[in-house]
Amino acid sequence: MLCIGRLDRLHYLFIYPRIQSPITWDIIAIITDLIGCFIYLYLTFIPDFAILRDDKELNVAPWRKKVYRFLAMNYQDTPEQRTTLKKITRTMSAMIIAMAIVAYTVLAWIFSLTLQPGWNSSIFAPYFIVAGLYSGVGVIIICMFAVRKFFKLGHYIRKVHFIGAGIILLVLALLYGYFTFSEYFARWFSHKKNDMLLLDTLFSDYFWRFIFANYIGVLIPVIILFFKRFRTINLITFAGVIAVVGLWFNRYIIVIPTLETPYLPIQDTRPEFIHYTATWIEWSLSAAGVAAFCLMFTLLVRFVPIIPVYELAEGAKNDKRKAKKKAKKNSKSEKKDTSDEN
Amino acid sequence: MKTDFKHLNRIYVLVVLLIGYYSNVYAQEFKLSDYKMRFTFSTQKDTSNNRQLEVSFLAANKKDRKDRIPVTEALIKFYHSGKDTLLLIGESKTNKQGIASMTVPASMPLEMDEEGYFNFIAQFDKTESLKRQKKSLQVKELILDLNLSEQDSTQIVTLNAFTKDSLGNQISIEELDVVFSVGGMLSRLPIEEASVEDGVYEFEMPEDIPGDLNGDFQLFVFVDDHDDFGTVLQSVQSNWGVFDDIVKPEKNKLWTEAAPIWMYVVLTILLVGVWANYFYTIIKLWKIKKIGSNV
Repeated sequence: MLCIGRLDRLHYLFIYPRIQSPITWDIIAIITDLIGCFIYLYLTFIPDFAILRDDKELNVAPWRKKVYRFLAMNYQDTPEQRTTLKKITRTMSAMIIAMAIVAYTVLAWIFSLTLQPGWNSSIFAPYFIVAGLYSGVGVIIICMFAVRKFFKLGHYIRKVHFIGAGIILLVLALLYGYFTFSEYFARWFSHKKNDMLLLDTLFSDYFWRFIFANYIGVLIPVIILFFKRFRTINLITFAGVIAVVGLWFNRYIIVIPTLETPYLPIQDTRPEFIHYTATWIEWSLSAAGVAAFCLMFTLLVRFVPIIPVYELAEGAKNDKRKAKKKAKKNSKSEKKDTSDEN
Repeated sequence: MKTDFKHLNRIYVLVVLLIGYYSNVYAQEFKLSDYKMRFTFSTQKDTSNNRQLEVSFLAANKKDRKDRIPVTEALIKFYHSGKDTLLLIGESKTNKQGIASMTVPASMPLEMDEEGYFNFIAQFDKTESLKRQKKSLQVKELILDLNLSEQDSTQIVTLNAFTKDSLGNQISIEELDVVFSVGGMLSRLPIEEASVEDGVYEFEMPEDIPGDLNGDFQLFVFVDDHDDFGTVLQSVQSNWGVFDDIVKPEKNKLWTEAAPIWMYVVLTILLVGVWANYFYTIIKLWKIKKIGSNV
């Protein structure tokens, strides 16, 4: 909704839908993706809701108990319930991956199907997908760090988790850097008049934003994550922050300089048409996007277990089972050895 | 197997030091005395008979021919010199490529010398670091008159090339190399290279030149950097072009009214599939609830 910019015109999309317009498909894809994400998230929480419902010692308000009971959907962890839940969770995970690809692709096509310099690109769809994953992993790392720090969960969220997420971030940074290089290299080398105008603008008026988005935003995470000795929790989080900020600037320099470089000569060349300055409404909308995410995340942290209790319990059970098996095996082999000796 | 990081560290430090050293060496190497100033002055007459005066100002490395640095923001003064006068006709600063130019409009009265030359001077005044540069240019007025005619359904192009003396008398050009071309979308397409003798050249126009919607195209004649006349370009509008009038239906373009059908079909199937799965998930959730209530 925030991407549309003019929220007051949002209902036009439903009153006067143009099915051939990518923005209509974008809205459909984003809504579908969002609903899919909520369903998936809910499915993964059901066993935890059941634990919270059944926990007699849980000291929370009665209304919260009621909510947990409602959300637990009578889940008793029977084999049939467990199998069904696993099956639908697995299918939903595949669905949301497919929907994320569709949503990012349609969003990329809104730009790339135009003839505007800086937007008309054949690699925008995969580029947007990789960029989305890159910033997504960055945000996950930042959230992990915040949760670990404020809830003192160092025992559960360990360095190994940060390193795992860091390696994924490294692979995505390399991919994202490769896409960025291909994108700008093709524009620079083909020397099309309007593309050159755009590149001139990027390297003059937007110099530092361009450098931050496409050099610092890629190279710093790569350097931090490439060398083992730099892979500390703080530095990996710093790489995540740089990735997210770099990507924000990348989006900015994709949208704004192109709008300031009109492809066709325009009759009315008022300065505000050529040079862009964000209005307070736009700043507010951008801030609202970040605030909405923070609000959702803190609400989630407040009302559901941030570390999946059910999975921890399952893990502990599995460990016990394995330990028992191992002990049995050892005692068997010992018996065999003594009988051989006799 | 363990990696020996101590060795790696030494290599990184060495690489950083080497980069630092070479960048410093490179930075210290630049000396103005190693460069020679190249100040060239040329002229081109366009199809509207306006004359473009152009100066290229570069610093060329004496040892490395490839190393050329444009002198930017240099103020170049353009003069027209008559018999007894020196008239400043314009000033221009060099751009990022080291080029400064100005246009002398066809309407500007210019004084010819006894031999029929117009004299121009381009000058860069001395600065603290750069020496004064000055170049003069002599150019004769070349008139290229293009005529199109049809003889027995053959399309003929006739070029008359002449110059004028100080009294205004026409003097035919004895010998001149020219190139005929037609205007295209990005550049001009050469169709005939010729040598004009005694001021006249005639040739048969090819009949398969594509024109625009009305069959029009622009025919150009071009003289490239001649010793007496400089660069001259002249053109004439022609209606001899052919137009391929096959109207192809526009499909799958950015501006067509509907997206391709397959796109609607694929996306609809995809979305229906996804939403069907959502409903299937919800039904399964109710099933889980039902099983739970029976336990």
